[in-house]
Parts: sequence; structure tokens; C-alpha cells
Amino acid sequence: MLKHLLEYDFKSKFKVLIIFYALATFFALLTRIFFSFENSLVLYIIAQVCSGVTISMVFNILINNIMRMWARFRTNFYGDESYLTHTLPVSKTTHYLSKFICASVSFLVSFAFIGVALFVAYYSEENIQIIKSLILPLAQTYDSSIGGLIIVLLLILYLEFFNILQCGFTGIILGHRMQSGKVGFSVLYGFIVYSASQTAVLVAMFIVALFNNDAMNLFVTNEMVDIGILKFFIIFAIIIYTLISVVLCFINIKLFKKGVNVD
Amino acid sequence: MELLKCVNLSKQFGKKTVLNNVNLTIPRGKIIGLLGKNGTGKSTLIKLMNDLLTPTEGEVLINGQKVGVESKKVIAYLPERTYLDKSMTVDSVVKFFAKFYSDFDTEKAYKLLNDLDLDVNQKLTKMSKGMQEKVQLVLVMSRKAELYILDEPLGGVDPATRDYILDTILSNFADGASVIISTHLISDIERILDEVIFINKGEIVLTGATEELRGREGESIDEIFRRMFKC
Repeated sequence: MLKHLLEYDFKSKFKVLIIFYALATFFALLTRIFFSFENSLVLYIIAQVCSGVTISMVFNILINNIMRMWARFRTNFYGDESYLTHTLPVSKTTHYLSKFICASVSFLVSFAFIGVALFVAYYSEENIQIIKSLILPLAQTYDSSIGGLIIVLLLILYLEFFNILQCGFTGIILGHRMQSGKVGFSVLYGFIVYSASQTAVLVAMFIVALFNNDAMNLFVTNEMVDIGILKFFIIFAIIIYTLISVVLCFINIKLFKKGVNVD
Repeated sequence: MELLKCVNLSKQFGKKTVLNNVNLTIPRGKIIGLLGKNGTGKSTLIKLMNDLLTPTEGEVLINGQKVGVESKKVIAYLPERTYLDKSMTVDSVVKFFAKFYSDFDTEKAYKLLNDLDLDVNQKLTKMSKGMQEKVQLVLVMSRKAELYILDEPLGGVDPATRDYILDTILSNFADGASVIISTHLISDIERILDEVIFINKGEIVLTGATEELRGREGESIDEIFRRMFKC
């Protein structure tokens, strides 16, 4: 059943996202083409406009990804379509996992398309050197390669997006459980859950710091902390974000299993 | 074992009690009318049977089991609202049902859609509300379910179409299955009912076989209803 649910979730998600992927790639191509012409102010202005549109498409992909997941979650589980969703012979866990997996995959695909669009629009030896010069000091500080650092930062960004998405799911579920589905309350509960998850990250880091003086310097001084500690906290952030995602997933499934009350 | 049983079932929304201590048994092979005025708890009871609401107290048992995946395999539910993804075509909705319900008869669905002159390639969003409701009825009646629960299937439909809907229900429900029809349009469905359940202010006030009630009261079910629920 999970396979069938995923099929419909993917279809619903990507039928819109694919338009943004196509537009982002199209404007990235135009950006590249128009930037390749030299000595023309008009073409340069057009290239700048295309560049702006490409960047806005990149943000659109990210925002649309999350917003569409929340909207579909609400429509499927609490809107008119919930009358079909909840009467399908599928467990609540399977329903939730379908949304969870769909979100994971669509984030990955979107990150990949964003990478492709940016590469198409802006790749040049000169730009690569600029990026390298910007990231190199940071990479050296962390005693890491540029590629390794970018991958780690992207992973943290990915987990952060996932955390935001799941906090939204929790907000929608709580909003419907406690306030008969008023959207404002869903947003409020989502914000509270997100704030709580961020506080949990800080508290976890602080607890670790209680047992390590070098780590405590991060909280109590402005001095440069040991690089080993910074690296540790990056790995720690990845672990704690993953844990929070898993915990939120369990909480949401548990809330779902307690039953729904659709209008 | 009874097909469906409600045990001490209550539902509150905040401080408002919508269903109060309902005890009910639905046998197999019967067409049962769930009758009551608007806002008396009919839809709430049906939603509880379909896992769309969570009971405040009590439970619903289907084939002896609590409402869940297994009960959804044997219940075909027609809600009073349009609930399909409107971006889908009729054909894709039929395929959707075939994938999720092992008892869904695809050939029967296409035949019924054809009888109703419904274009399978048309998107639901391009269809009128009445046409969408017909599609939903076809989907529900194309299942070989053990229990069909139809919530206000005649609401907002002209008398000629009401007859067609009732005929579709009568000629398509699976052998040995039961049908619960919730409505306040009693005169239209009285002829097909084996049993009735009268519900008022969230409580079951009368249950019985239609023939027996008619004989005992010397009135039609519609007349009994009008007398009992006179404003």
C-alpha cells in the first residue's frame, strides 16, 4: 500500500515542482547565454534579469516544496479528501511514512536541480575561484576539504528543512486536535514545536558542554574555540537534527494513531 | 457474529454532546435506514463507523474488531460531500480505487459509468457536483463490500435521479451485505428498507423491522417519523 500511496504523493508533488525545475533550468540557460555576449549593455541587463529570475526560481523550488507538502498534508488528512484518505484500508503509520518519504526524496531532487541550475547559470573558472577563495579559509579552519565542507553544510541545510517540514506537520495535527482545524492555530503550534526543537538542540549542546570546558567556551566567551570542538559540534548537530526528525516522526505517528476528527 | 456493533458510543465536541451512549447492532443482509432530522447525529455516527471521528467514550466493532485497516477493507462509504482529488480524471479515480480496494470490480465500474453517460476521460474539476456525486456512487457500489454506508445519498438530487440512485444501490450491493442509508427523505427510501433506526438529539429512540413497525403502528414509516419528530 505504501508503494501506491507514494505513487500518488509523488505525482501530486512533482507535477508542479517539475514546472519550477524547468523554469529554473530555462532561465539558467538564458542567463548563461546572455552573459556570454560581451560589449552589449542591453544583453547584459537581460542577463541580469534572467539571473534574478533564476535565483527567484531556486527559492521558489525550496518554498514551494515545503508549502505544497503542508498543503497536501492538510487537504489529505483534514480537508474534503480526508474522507477518502481515512477510509482507505491503509494504516495511519503508512499514510505518514508516505508523506515522510515523499518529502525526503523531493528535497533531494530539488537540491540536485538547484545545483544543476546554479551550475548552468554561473559555472566558470573565475566563479569557481571566487567560491573557493570564500570557502577555503573556513575549510582550513575546520581542517577539511572544500568539497567535504560543502557536503556537510548541505546535509545540515537538508536536515534543517526536514525539521521545519515536520514541525509544520506536527502543528497541523495539533491545530486540528485542539482547535478544530483553525489554520492560525496550526501555524502557531508549528512555530512552538519548531522553537522547542531548536531549544532542544541548544540544551543538548549545553549539556555536552557541561562536561567539557573547551566546549563551554562556545557559550561563555567570545574567544575562538578549539577547532576539534567546532568539528565535534557540527557532527553533533547532524546527529541531533537526525534524532529530532526521527522523534518528530514518532510523535506525529503517535498523534495520528490516537485518531482524527475531520470536519 | 454481528456485522457492526456500537457499544456505549458517545461523542462530544467541546462541551456539546452530539451522540450519547449509543448501543446498536447491524445484522448482515439488511437494508437499514438511519433516520433523523438534520443535525441529530446521523453523520457523526457514520463518521465514527468510518474512523473519521474518534469516540469520546465507547467503541465501534466491525466483525468483532475495532475500526481500523481490516474494517476499512469491508466497508464501502459514500460521504455526503465530494471527496475525490478533483485534478484526477474519472478513469484515474477508478484505477485508484482498484489499487487500494481488493474487492473493487473495475469492469462493473466502467459499465455503470457508461450507463450514466459519464465520460471516463473527463477531469472531475470539469464536472458538476451532481456528476461527481454519481461518480462517487459508482465507485462505492462497484465494491463487493460487506457493509455499504451511504450518508445522505439523495440529498440535493431531483426525484427522478433519486429513483435512479436507489435502483443503482439495490441492484449493485453484494449478496449478503448490509446497507446503511442515512437520510431525512424517508418517503423516497421507505420501499427499500428492511429495518429503521430513528435517531434524535444524539440518542437512538426507535429501532425495528419496517414491516413490523408498519403493522404495529398502522402507519407508514414516513408517518411514524413525522409524528415522532413533529416540531
